[in-house]
Amino acid sequence: MSEWTKLYDAVLNGDADTARSVTDEALAAGTDPQTLVNDYMIPAMDEVGRRFEANDFFVPELLIAARAMKGALGKIRPLLTASGVKPKGRVVLGTVKGDLHDIGKNLVAAMLEGGGFEVIDLGVDVSAEKFIEAIRDESADIVAMSALLTTTMPSMKNTIEALNEAGVRGNVKIMIGGAPITREYAEEIGADSYGDSAATAVGIARKLVAS
Amino acid sequence: MENSVLIRLRPLDKTIPVPAGTPLANALFAEGVEFPCGGRGRCKGCRVRVLEGRLPAFPGERRLLGDSRVNAGWRLSCRHRAESDLTLELAQWEAAVLGDNTDFIFSPRPGCGIAVDVGTTTLVAQLVDLENGNVLAVRSGLNRQARFGADLMSRIEFSMTFEGRTTLTNLIRKQLAELVRDLLAAAGPEKAERVNRMILVGNTAMHHLFGGLNTEPLSRYPFETQATGTLRFDAGRLGWNGLPAGCPVVFLPCIGGFVGSDILAGLLAVGFDRREKPGVFLDLGTNGEVVVGNRSRMVCASTAAGPAFEGARITMGMRASTGAIAEVVPCAKSWRCRVIGDVDPRGICGSGLVDAVAAGLDLGMILPNGRFAHGGKNWVLSSPVQLHQCDIRELQLAKGAIAAGAKILMRANDIRPRNLTDVFMAGAFGNYLRLDSALRIGLLPFPDKALRPSGNTALLGAKISLFAENPESACESLRKRVVHVSLSQDPGFQDTFVEEMTFPGKPATSRASPPEKAEKL
Ligand code: B12
Repeated sequence: MSEWTKLYDAVLNGDADTARSVTDEALAAGTDPQTLVNDYMIPAMDEVGRRFEANDFFVPELLIAARAMKGALGKIRPLLTASGVKPKGRVVLGTVKGDLHDIGKNLVAAMLEGGGFEVIDLGVDVSAEKFIEAIRDESADIVAMSALLTTTMPSMKNTIEALNEAGVRGNVKIMIGGAPITREYAEEIGADSYGDSAATAVGIARKLVAS
Repeated sequence: MENSVLIRLRPLDKTIPVPAGTPLANALFAEGVEFPCGGRGRCKGCRVRVLEGRLPAFPGERRLLGDSRVNAGWRLSCRHRAESDLTLELAQWEAAVLGDNTDFIFSPRPGCGIAVDVGTTTLVAQLVDLENGNVLAVRSGLNRQARFGADLMSRIEFSMTFEGRTTLTNLIRKQLAELVRDLLAAAGPEKAERVNRMILVGNTAMHHLFGGLNTEPLSRYPFETQATGTLRFDAGRLGWNGLPAGCPVVFLPCIGGFVGSDILAGLLAVGFDRREKPGVFLDLGTNGEVVVGNRSRMVCASTAAGPAFEGARITMGMRASTGAIAEVVPCAKSWRCRVIGDVDPRGICGSGLVDAVAAGLDLGMILPNGRFAHGGKNWVLSSPVQLHQCDIRELQLAKGAIAAGAKILMRANDIRPRNLTDVFMAGAFGNYLRLDSALRIGLLPFPDKALRPSGNTALLGAKISLFAENPESACESLRKRVVHVSLSQDPGFQDTFVEEMTFPGKPATSRASPPEKAEKL
């Protein structure tokens, strides 16, 4: 299976050009797109996540790896869709109402995509209504919310309450994160899970869809 | 006192009697201990170590602090009460306060005036003789509102709770009244009678809380408040009896949601309002404000660096006080640390952090991407104080945010860094942080010769305003020339921020001569 380790290395090292050209080469050689994703790209992003977790990688390394991953995925995704391959799960993600910090959220989005999820990124300052609409339209499995301000943390609580009222809370699992968020807070507001980094987000999402 | 218990504080060597059951937060706050998250048990900033006595951990404390800390006696003081005698070691110490004694040019006026810098953390007030510019008395103190949140957002959050705003408004007015009383007492009755104006400056939240205005708009996007204007009170109405009746108490206007009159005053203090050539004004606090431009147009943004430069969110971080490593200098293939107070080191403050990383880069121990070169997770600076990998990451975020903010503003306004002749640095820069180190880590993307450490420019600007014919209209007219932009709206922020998280690879050219003094006004 070590044929396309060049793809693994390119993603890990954030070499977007190589990632794209190796992908082209592999596809031209008739490699199954699903194999490229499962055997090279996802493991590479998992390793990126491990290194980030261990503080060996930081935001810049994670971002360039994500860019390389996206470049390659851009070529593969249309083929996957065409052949009816389902993502590991669908995640609706956004920074909550009142908050515009999006770098952490963007990293979470990248890691989740790299982990085989389909991510619907609603952007920043996302109201409860927008979350609800997206849950319905996208038939999402998971809602992921990010907040970086202590003053916008209550928006998470409000959103969960609104999901309850709209009757869609049962359709989804909720995970939350961002620098001021704690496990206690997640429990307090009735979220299903909390993640302290973009790397842990993937493991959590995997658990949430499995349960 | 019926049923009173004794709290002994180490290393302050102080004993305070309190009624049994007193919340530790109340007892310790009076001694200058801060509660960064406002006593919500979130930040661990107020931890104390129980040396003698009993203070059982509350449920969840082990998870917050970790087993080993709790076993070693560490507790979150915000969540405990003194039920019996205790001996506690404090994790933090008093903050350093920055006064001002810069010379400036003024036209004499009759009487005396009071200038106050109302900081989120500290208050500094000066009583000035307006006839000759002499400072007759200085008083300072920790802002007592800090009991309800050390950083601005926690304070704003508290002000939105039931009666929170009234509590904070009353606290600040009462503390200012005391400062005024002390200033007047120090200067003597003859001068006290002649006080005819008092000018306050501070950030927008301080402005709103002093005025008793609604802070809710400051809590979330778009952070815009309508009430940015000058606040004008009558000393009598505030109940500040020491001041002559009718003496106006004026809080100067804000520029925008996160940029207050402290910055306006700073611009006045360094003469930015009279510059033809483009310049930069930087105020390095938790919120790091940047202004670029010249007299006709100034563009300003706040960069939200966070408190790393104050030693917060750093594993062994502490304020610049006894026991803090404040300086790290490379020497030969090794390094030397200077500890405040010549005692054994117990932590590292902001200047030490910046120095340590600069030294680590020079010694090849830290790579430009922020990693320890040899793959380790920490560096023992001077036992037991270590710099951890995650501390460097924290510094990369803070430094990246400031450098990115400055670069984006310069780019948007066609200012080339290398053409800059003056970069005025207020607050911690040059006073606490060493410029060489700040340059080495890429915190200051400017030519070294342009750097002008300018001290407490907020206080100086307030003082200059005391001499103005009409301080309010002078400030209002300056304010009209300052445009506030929000970096969150900038699509290029993320890329520039991420770029700036990396440290420069080669040592910046070492500075040939010490910086000249800030130009005299
Ligand atoms: C960059 C930054 C900004 C940028 C934001 C740009 C952008 N497009 O995001 C700018 C300059 C615009 C900005 C503005 C403001 N900021 Co700001 N900002 C920061 C800063 C420096 C870094 C934040 C960051 O990007 N970190 C890097 C990312 C990768 O980390 P992260 O977001 O925590 O995400 C990680 C995890 O938390 C996790 N995660 C995040 N979300 C999620 C979600 C899920 C589901 C999961 C599982 C995990 C997860 O994964 C990520 C990767 O591991 C911090 C201070 C600091 N040193 O941390 C302040 C900070 C967050 N800002 C702060 C403030 C106050 C503001 C302003 C209100 C005021 C101001 N000074 O202008 C404005 C408001 C903006 C708004 N409208 O929301 C404060 C908040 C304080 C508080 N108590 O709430 C901080 C802490 C600084 C301070 N002053 O102390 N800011």
